[in-house]
Amino acid sequence: MSYKIPMGPYHPALEEPYKLDLICEGETVSDAKLHIGFNFRGIEHLAESRNYIQVIALMERVCGICSNIHTLTLCQAMEQLTGQAPPPRAQYIRVVVAELERLHSHVLWAGIAAKLMGFKTMFMTCFELREKVMDILQAISGNRVNYSMNRIGGVNRDIDDPLAVLAMVEQLEREMVRTVIPIFTTSTTARLRCAGIGVLSNRKAVSCGVVGPTARASGLPQDLRRAAPYAAYSEMEFDVPVQQDGDVRARLLVRALEIMESCKILRQALTKMPPGEISTGDAKIAFSAGTATSRVEAPRGEVMYSVSWKESSRNPSRVHVRTPTFVNMPAIRWMVIGARLADTPLIQASIDPCYSCTDR
Amino acid sequence: MTVLETIPQENLLEAIPEKLGITEPWVEKGGVHWLATGGLNVRTLAAAMNDCHARFITITAYQLPGEQGFRLEYHWDLNGKVLGFPFQLSGNSIESIFDLCEAVDWIEREIHEGFAVDFMGREYEPLLLRQGDTPGVNLREEAKK
Repeated sequence: MSYKIPMGPYHPALEEPYKLDLICEGETVSDAKLHIGFNFRGIEHLAESRNYIQVIALMERVCGICSNIHTLTLCQAMEQLTGQAPPPRAQYIRVVVAELERLHSHVLWAGIAAKLMGFKTMFMTCFELREKVMDILQAISGNRVNYSMNRIGGVNRDIDDPLAVLAMVEQLEREMVRTVIPIFTTSTTARLRCAGIGVLSNRKAVSCGVVGPTARASGLPQDLRRAAPYAAYSEMEFDVPVQQDGDVRARLLVRALEIMESCKILRQALTKMPPGEISTGDAKIAFSAGTATSRVEAPRGEVMYSVSWKESSRNPSRVHVRTPTFVNMPAIRWMVIGARLADTPLIQASIDPCYSCTDR
Repeated sequence: MTVLETIPQENLLEAIPEKLGITEPWVEKGGVHWLATGGLNVRTLAAAMNDCHARFITITAYQLPGEQGFRLEYHWDLNGKVLGFPFQLSGNSIESIFDLCEAVDWIEREIHEGFAVDFMGREYEPLLLRQGDTPGVNLREEAKK
């Protein structure tokens, strides 16, 4: 006899509200239905009533973790409509902040995953490291969550002493290499808890159109930093970690390896940062009518903004946001079918879902 | 194996208009390669994108002024390039491509819920964004009230 177990919308295993109705046969999940919308704020519609300065502040609040990525993608789209090309130094600063945000996001996720594994010591270690990433972001931007770094035609704040930031990044990297990376890649606890569960096959990953680490853990080597470079990524050397197994462990390994790649990119960006202006400095910005689209590889995968403007308007006529979790979440259904009920919190967390992004 | 599947990846972009029977070339604008769809059926397009192994990204819906209806812009990724295909809807319905492209499920549901556009040939599950509310409501019109 099958029975339904609702998980959420408010549940200790969920960091934000959403609902997973699990259909179970005994302890085995036979199907699942996902319900979102608990964070729906109508942000896309709200954006149509904001001018080109206000809309940046608004879209920074789509997500509390990858806030910078949203303004970066939005500004890149608006730069196409205004013809404002950010100077090279601004492009490097954008890379630095984007990679620090990826570190922040991946370490935060690692902590939550560790907690769901029952590995509480690791949770504390990860959150201690996350504090250090946030300290660096605060040193650069003055803020710990919404960094307000991006503007049309560049960035708002310079990195006055890149080598001082580099020293902080290297200190962080040493601690990652000493703790997070070996535990997640070699520890028996992590392996036994994560291997073979929540499998998303390569074929299903293609069919669902998943993105980011979720796709790369199912053998899809897609990464916009490589396939369609933006900011200064074309000048960075890095690898795109890919795993073939498609299980929770593969997603864990991909993110652990990406932490190291982010450190590699940060080192290059901070040492090679060119001198010069950090923005075009234009106080008056004129938009041409039309639609522009921009994509960025956020910590969870591809973010896409379509921004439309009407002639001589101060407000966008339409802002459409496609976030990575919006495409990754439907795949959870296929990951939990056949899984043990007790594994579902960890499986759903393994895509690093962001429901605020998803609902907007 | 279809015709598009036999074409090398680097030549696919040029081959797509011919395969779809479109004489106009790609127009690169605003970060997207646009192709005028004219009278093209959206399901023919989805099948062709499947043959190219293009990755579906999203649909962006626009409500047009007055009684002009809606414009839906379908986006796929082909080897790092964003492809855009605009479809003008005189009414409020278009055929669903859910059975051809699983990834379209949630965005079709979201557009149905937010713009009252009907994607024909599919069943809707309960509301994605506004639990317990009425499906198929144009939220922009509701907000004006």
